[in-house]
Amino acid sequence: MAARAISYLYLPGAIVAGIVVVALAAPLLPLADPVKMEVPARLALPSFAHPLGQDEYGRDVLSRIIWGARASLTVAFLSALLAGVIGTTLGLLGGYFRSFIEILTVRSMEAIVCFPPILLALLVVTLMGPGALTLVVALTILYAPGYARVAFAATLAARGLDYVTAQEALGAKPMRILGRTILPNIAPPLLVQFSLTVAAAMVLESGLSFLGLGVVPPAPSWGLMIRGARSTMEQAPWLLLWPCAALTGAILAFNLLCDRLRDVLDPRAGASNAGWLARAMARVLPDASSGPAPSLLAADGLTIEIETSGGPIRPVRGVSLSLAPGETLALVGESGSGKTLTGLALMGLLPPTMTIVDGSIRFVDRAGRTRDLTRLPEAEMRRLRGNEIAMVFQDPSASLNPVHRVGDQVAEGIRAHRDISRADAAAQAVGLLRDVGLPDPQQRARAYPHELSGGQRQRAMIASAVANAPRLLIADEPTTALDVTIQAQILDLLAALKAKGDMGLIFITHNLAVVSEIADRVCVMYAGEIVEEGPVAEVFASPRHPYTAALIASAPDGVDAQLAAIPGTVPLPHMLPDGCAFAPRCACVVEQCRIATPPVAQVSATRASRCFKWKEVA
Amino acid sequence: MLAYALGRIAVALGLIWAVVTLVFLIIHLVPGDPAELLLSQGGVAPDPVAVAELRDKLGLDRPLLTQYLQYVGGLLKGDLGSSLLDDHSVTAEIALRLPRTLELIFAASLIAVMFGLPLGALAALRAGGPVDRVLAAAAGLGLSVPVFVVGTIAILIFAQKLRWVPAGGFVPFWRDPVQHLILLMMPACTIAVGLGAVVFRMTRSSVLEVLGRDYVRAAHAKGLTPRRIVFHHVVRNALIPVITVLALHMGSLLGGTVLVEFVFNWPGLSGYLVRAVEQRDYPEVVGIVLVISIAFVIINLAVDLLYAVIDPRVRHG
Repeated sequence: MAARAISYLYLPGAIVAGIVVVALAAPLLPLADPVKMEVPARLALPSFAHPLGQDEYGRDVLSRIIWGARASLTVAFLSALLAGVIGTTLGLLGGYFRSFIEILTVRSMEAIVCFPPILLALLVVTLMGPGALTLVVALTILYAPGYARVAFAATLAARGLDYVTAQEALGAKPMRILGRTILPNIAPPLLVQFSLTVAAAMVLESGLSFLGLGVVPPAPSWGLMIRGARSTMEQAPWLLLWPCAALTGAILAFNLLCDRLRDVLDPRAGASNAGWLARAMARVLPDASSGPAPSLLAADGLTIEIETSGGPIRPVRGVSLSLAPGETLALVGESGSGKTLTGLALMGLLPPTMTIVDGSIRFVDRAGRTRDLTRLPEAEMRRLRGNEIAMVFQDPSASLNPVHRVGDQVAEGIRAHRDISRADAAAQAVGLLRDVGLPDPQQRARAYPHELSGGQRQRAMIASAVANAPRLLIADEPTTALDVTIQAQILDLLAALKAKGDMGLIFITHNLAVVSEIADRVCVMYAGEIVEEGPVAEVFASPRHPYTAALIASAPDGVDAQLAAIPGTVPLPHMLPDGCAFAPRCACVVEQCRIATPPVAQVSATRASRCFKWKEVA
Repeated sequence: MLAYALGRIAVALGLIWAVVTLVFLIIHLVPGDPAELLLSQGGVAPDPVAVAELRDKLGLDRPLLTQYLQYVGGLLKGDLGSSLLDDHSVTAEIALRLPRTLELIFAASLIAVMFGLPLGALAALRAGGPVDRVLAAAAGLGLSVPVFVVGTIAILIFAQKLRWVPAGGFVPFWRDPVQHLILLMMPACTIAVGLGAVVFRMTRSSVLEVLGRDYVRAAHAKGLTPRRIVFHHVVRNALIPVITVLALHMGSLLGGTVLVEFVFNWPGLSGYLVRAVEQRDYPEVVGIVLVISIAFVIINLAVDLLYAVIDPRVRHG
């Protein structure tokens, strides 16, 4: 819980505390008697003795507002507290013992939720007659199930935790575990529930009093005051204003406190990675599209920056890679090495928090023009996306929209770039699904994603990606989420699709076995940089970077029984070491590695390494 | 789909039976003699003759099972009993008033959705921006103002000061459609303030969540226009939780229109309920509570069925 988050609570906390203190201090304050009538002075305007004026019976409005707060808060707090104790107890017992106790405690309370709240309150009023006590009883019955549900869910979650199991193993009594261990752990959601309940109870209390079924006159209550002022609203509209403002303000303060409390206790709720529509070109980079034309794609010195509260960090730095038509390039690295971000950058699909701050991506389109993708306006980038450059993502289950038919999801990509009829696009989609090897494509096109198997879903995603015969396909770990037996089929499919034309393929993976199977060249990424590049066979035969060598040694190849793990982990982008990022884990590290960042060394015409000692590796 | 629908209907029927039984039991669960309780005013012991009369009228002397069977039998014939005070048929009165309350709720929901849905989506797409902040603050206020405060202030401004509309009342549609709709507008808009804020908040958070999903990124990767992504891929998925919340609120509005009907003199079901509660007319209260609770169950059933239409996964789940 950050200090900033706590300071977030100050304002609503202070207002709520102020309201509570004033209400508590009502008997001590120099206020007029809230129920003393002075009929000759009815509807009198504000005066020194009566700062807010006098009501329809000449009673002091200020005094009635403050005493009204007391009535309102007493009922609200009392019922929230009672409901809290009863509901939490039942929820705890139900969540801890489960089985029939759960039915008895938690499930039975859910019947109460079947009734609209105010209805249930009125039912209680019918039986007990109006009054503050009735209100407390009604509100307690009404809000106990809310606590029970929260406590039940939280108890279920806490029960599975190791320290609870440990206490049970030590022979602690259930009541002790519930009271001492589980209750403190589920306190935060209960606290939110409490402030929620107080606000809701105030709304209901004032509403019932307004109807004349709550607090009994002449006792002051905001709801009653509004009821009274309504009848004189033609002559004295201001009398309406005070209780309305007091009531709304108090509820607003409680709601605000509740919202902020929830934000502080559950920080996940606030975070969001959405907002991509606001994506814009954050920085203007020099246009590189006039430079020497690559054969298909050339990224040069690509650097990606994320703005964070602790300053900017760069998860991808100076990445250069090139691809010729018909070529397959594998981008290999551990998770966190920046390989997926590089792929997303090529698609122009970086999350809005990230920007390309340096480098260029030159791409030759179908018309033979060289475009710099880092500078292309979003509208033009969109025309390339899914058309000339396409991407297959890691998790096909999450990447297909669950509510649309598979065929429609393929067809919409066709219609986004080509002016053809709905029926033609649908027919083409069926053809594409057949091409990627889906059995019975006519019928599969009408299926929903959840009706396909994982492998079939990835085939559908691939069909969607190649729908417009892209010049470049980026496949981001397309087999990782699939069964091993399916993985080979998907690789064969990609190879077959490539064999049909001159599509370039960038294959992002952490699996070295896959690399040797599918790729012509390989780029090895480590901590945001490409550390080695070259033809697959040469790199695998004689790596020129210690990281590549270690990766190969750690991959099971079926021959060596011994697997070598690389000590340590990939450094996080905001705590990169000085010098070479791999130095802390490197077996052949020398003093120089910890001081200076190694430059890219040209090992041969086709190979490069980012290591001072590349000659000695191998 | 059919199996799913039948299953849902069976559950709904079970719930209705539970509600019917629960309402029957409430009067017997209260400690003390219910007839005495209903007749007692301000702690004064009621006249024993009157108590005996009421016991006889409510059938409290008969065995519990007989009472229950008679009660359920009456319900099956659509008989909710008659008023303790004037012997007026409860069923007839409800049949007259229920449509008016439903009309009010649907009008309010329509207005709330008309504003809440597009504004919620807009706020999500502009998350963190000035538009989002202003809308979120407005929604926070809308959620905090009690409905009777909104109604009373609206009457003060639009009826008393500006004299644009009457302060309240009701004219049947067939007598004067225009006047009927004018009179409907004020209470409907009053309810729509809070309800619209609920719809807004739910839509905003739901759209935000969907925007972060992989399939939205995949849609983006296809080169679809932002318009198509939002309307075709985001909104439909985001609607599912919004519909749940809206339905739950519509259900609680069945009783929750009490205050608005009181403020605007709308002769719906709730006004009848308040009168019945004031006079402690037990058969009337029970009849209204039953009808509303059953309507609540039916609304939830309708939502479940609507889900199945929106989300194909539900049909099989």
